[in-house]
Amino acid sequence: MAREVLRNPTTVAGLVIIVALLTMAILAPVVTEPNIPDPYQMPRDWSMRDAPPGTPGHPLGTTSTGGDVFYGVVWGARTSLQLSVIVVGITVTVGIIVGSLAGFIGGKLDEILMRVVDVFLAIPELIFALAIAAVLGPSFSNIIFALSVVFWVKYARIIRGQIIHIKQNDYVDAARVTGDSRFSIYRKDVLPNSITPVMVQATMDMGGIVLTAATLSFIGLAEAGLAEWGVLVSDGQSGISAGKWWASTFPGLMVFLWALAFNLVGDGLRDVLDPRTEKR
Amino acid sequence: MTAPAASPPSRATAPLVVSVQDLQVHFKVKTGVAHAVDGVSFEVRDGETLGLVGETGCGKTVTARSFLRLVKTPPGVYAGGRIDFWSREARRNGDQPVDLLRVPDREMLAIRGDRIAMIFQDPGKALNPAMSIGDQVAEVFYQHRSEELLGERPGRVPFLVRRASRQLASAPERLALRLPPWRRRARAMRRRVDDLVAAALAETQIANPRKIMDRFPHELSGGMKQRVMIAQALACNPDLLIADEPTTALDVTVQARILELIANLQHRHGTSVLYISHDLSLVRQMCDRVAVMYAGRIVETGDTGTVFSDPLHPYTRGLMAAVPSASQKRGELLAIEGNVPEMVNPTPCCRFHTRCRFAVDLCRQVDPELLAVRDQGVACLAYASAAELGVPESSLPLVEGTSR
Amino acid sequence: MQIREYILRRLMIFPLIIIGTSIIVFTLSRVGGNPIAIYLEHEMTPAEVAEIEERYGLNDPLPVQYLAWAGGVLTGDMGWSGVSAQPVTEALLDRVGATLELAVFAAVVAVTLGIGLGTFGGARRDRLPDHLTRVFSISGASMPIFWFAILLLILFWVNLGWVSIGRSDPTVFASIAHPTGLYTVDAILAGSLTAFLDALAYMALPAITLGFGATAIIARMMRSSLVEELNEDYVDAARAKGLPEKLVLRRHARRNALIPTVTVIGLGFGFLLQGTVVVEIIFRWPGLGRWMADAVLRGDQATIMAYVLFTSVLFLAVNLIVDVMYAYLDRRVVLGA
Repeated sequence: MAREVLRNPTTVAGLVIIVALLTMAILAPVVTEPNIPDPYQMPRDWSMRDAPPGTPGHPLGTTSTGGDVFYGVVWGARTSLQLSVIVVGITVTVGIIVGSLAGFIGGKLDEILMRVVDVFLAIPELIFALAIAAVLGPSFSNIIFALSVVFWVKYARIIRGQIIHIKQNDYVDAARVTGDSRFSIYRKDVLPNSITPVMVQATMDMGGIVLTAATLSFIGLAEAGLAEWGVLVSDGQSGISAGKWWASTFPGLMVFLWALAFNLVGDGLRDVLDPRTEKR
Repeated sequence: MTAPAASPPSRATAPLVVSVQDLQVHFKVKTGVAHAVDGVSFEVRDGETLGLVGETGCGKTVTARSFLRLVKTPPGVYAGGRIDFWSREARRNGDQPVDLLRVPDREMLAIRGDRIAMIFQDPGKALNPAMSIGDQVAEVFYQHRSEELLGERPGRVPFLVRRASRQLASAPERLALRLPPWRRRARAMRRRVDDLVAAALAETQIANPRKIMDRFPHELSGGMKQRVMIAQALACNPDLLIADEPTTALDVTVQARILELIANLQHRHGTSVLYISHDLSLVRQMCDRVAVMYAGRIVETGDTGTVFSDPLHPYTRGLMAAVPSASQKRGELLAIEGNVPEMVNPTPCCRFHTRCRFAVDLCRQVDPELLAVRDQGVACLAYASAAELGVPESSLPLVEGTSR
Repeated sequence: MQIREYILRRLMIFPLIIIGTSIIVFTLSRVGGNPIAIYLEHEMTPAEVAEIEERYGLNDPLPVQYLAWAGGVLTGDMGWSGVSAQPVTEALLDRVGATLELAVFAAVVAVTLGIGLGTFGGARRDRLPDHLTRVFSISGASMPIFWFAILLLILFWVNLGWVSIGRSDPTVFASIAHPTGLYTVDAILAGSLTAFLDALAYMALPAITLGFGATAIIARMMRSSLVEELNEDYVDAARAKGLPEKLVLRRHARRNALIPTVTVIGLGFGFLLQGTVVVEIIFRWPGLGRWMADAVLRGDQATIMAYVLFTSVLFLAVNLIVDVMYAYLDRRVVLGA
């Protein structure tokens, strides 16, 4: 399977970008000098405001408040990595639990849970997350919470659909006839078969979550001064009419690259894993 | 590569419609090049029905699709040979044939559906689900009979209507055609098309053709759909009809009626038919001559009667033994062991040797040519001349019940 | 007929989902923050605050509060919008035109461009145009709208000076009447070409930004369903009839490939709706999205609730229409099943 994934040049490109971004996130304290006391806050150098890229000490320039754009770009990768891992972890877990309950127990419970899912899907993702984060107040942890509330729904749907599909297959009946317990059927037949679409979705969400979070912090729902790409783009926005393009451009490019890389890999995975898109 | 088979005496005088010579169609696959059709030669004469028989995957459908250049390229490649085709005019005027593998695209479009038509295996899949029956049949007329559709004085037809008669009108143009200056002409054209479509459908004994024209494929039964396909194929009175397993997807009860319909229409219009099937009893019933294909080759050809009563090639014999017939005792039905071999990067050998009861060493080294034996053609070393091959007589295989 | 049954069933579920959505929206307003925060001022005494709480029924049990709110929504009373200093309903009606005009324009761009690109790529499967379409679609789905908007502004506004931001030129705006609030329509009604072109010029950049993501979604779907259709037998049957390749593609394959593509148009519309928030901030477009962004930053709950509910209903309605269209278009599915 790995070989098939690697045969696709765009998937490989995605993987390369991911590796580069992760390296940057992990090596952030080495590449830049961490800000004291909180390295996730942008260091401010009030004497160096609006410095263009190439300024000594500030390779990508500084913001209008003297923040080093390079520092923000590097530590933003770390912020994004934490954010996406936490949110994907929470949503996949919740999604699998809810989806399994609905699919396996079925009946009334299934009906209720699926209506809840329908309602959650009725509100456009970003607007839902925006509303949640807004009523909770502007902070990055509230953004994490809001995204977790919004993003689990798809997983629940995938798992439930897969379970219902597998339940209809003969081999689950065969397992039942041979006396396997419900749980072991679930563990041996249902989960392994459901994992593929969940993996594809999770890969794409690794990108989508960072994209959505950056949008929320761009609108102004994260703490000011946080080393996060959306915040930086928002900070740089006021300067563009005066020709100071760098403070927005570089952090935004990072968001794009991050989302693009995970989407490329997710897309490649889907092509290989999904038998329905077989190549004829 | 293949020696011309002895032409059977019957119908030998009728003019040729199609002559396939050493046709080779290859496919690029992961492991190499698959020789799906590997040196096939046969001919179809005017008014004759030729059956092309073989197991699934023997290359018969690819052969048929090559006639209309419908093989997808890539991965397919027309690697060699030619398919000469004489249309009615060419025969009348004594013109040279056209090579279907090499005619320019434009000419090919004019041949498809007009001079050579095709009926597909599954009528449920071969009709566009989102288009009414009438519209689908009408397309043939728009494509090949546009002048007729314009009425008596085609010279005075407005440009816009002329474009519409050849299906060239774009959406805004079609809208314009509903407006006064053109509306009358456009409607008249539409009426003429409808008449032609209704007549074509009526040919295939569809009751109430006008009603069927507004229906969509999913609203019709399988037999009905195949009738529509036949109507569409014979609409322009083609010289050659290619029928690719036309009844395989249908119920047995419907099969017989469809076959009868094809036979009737063929007699009425004098159409030549290339009939592709794996069903031997159907072929025996329908065809004047048969060509038996195995692994991209023709292994035996001849008059239906002779081939069925006295098959020469071990493969043909195996096929005949696998067909139940009334005269056979219970339990005498035999299956041929094994499967059709992969034809990827083949070496010279008899393709059938892996499954042949009579195979000897020579069969694994020498590629048998199609030889004239009696009135038939057969590609088996048992009938070859040892002297010509330069091997001792004793190294040739011996097939039961044959005398050299 | 089955299609009518299907539509009927969808129509019956529709209000249920809206009720569910409204419950979520209401719950949101009560779990965090303070629904009346926007009305409070620092110098208010606790007694005054309690008085306001009493006035808005905040001491009643939650179900009663919900019913009171829902009843208000149904009669057109959605409270007071602090950010725009006018009743929510009024503020909503003032701004909905700007957002809808932008969204519809972007949708038209996205649907035409998406279908065109998808056809272009799908008909040339595994060749260069196909790969480019794929890269374009994935880029579109990965593009942060706020960044894309800023890049376009840097290029076309700051450096080239081709466009201005806002919704129209003030003098042009003053020159005609605005009965509908849709500036292009108003311009046509007034018969003013200048105003029409002005409206289009201001709308071009935000609409392109907004439509980009949806274009990508539609192009991707169109591409893959076209590839699937081109493998069908009826396509070869059409070729066997002698149709030229162009007609085979247009009349047969593309028409059928459009059917599954219709389903993602609903999804694409969701993409457009949520994109308006950011696009309206950056291009200073006086619509619902910017109103929502203001409300979010100032904790104006009545406005947030109204906006989320309105957007969801709109999104659901579009999806309902799309589903019905799909059921109608795909005769195989509904009538065959």
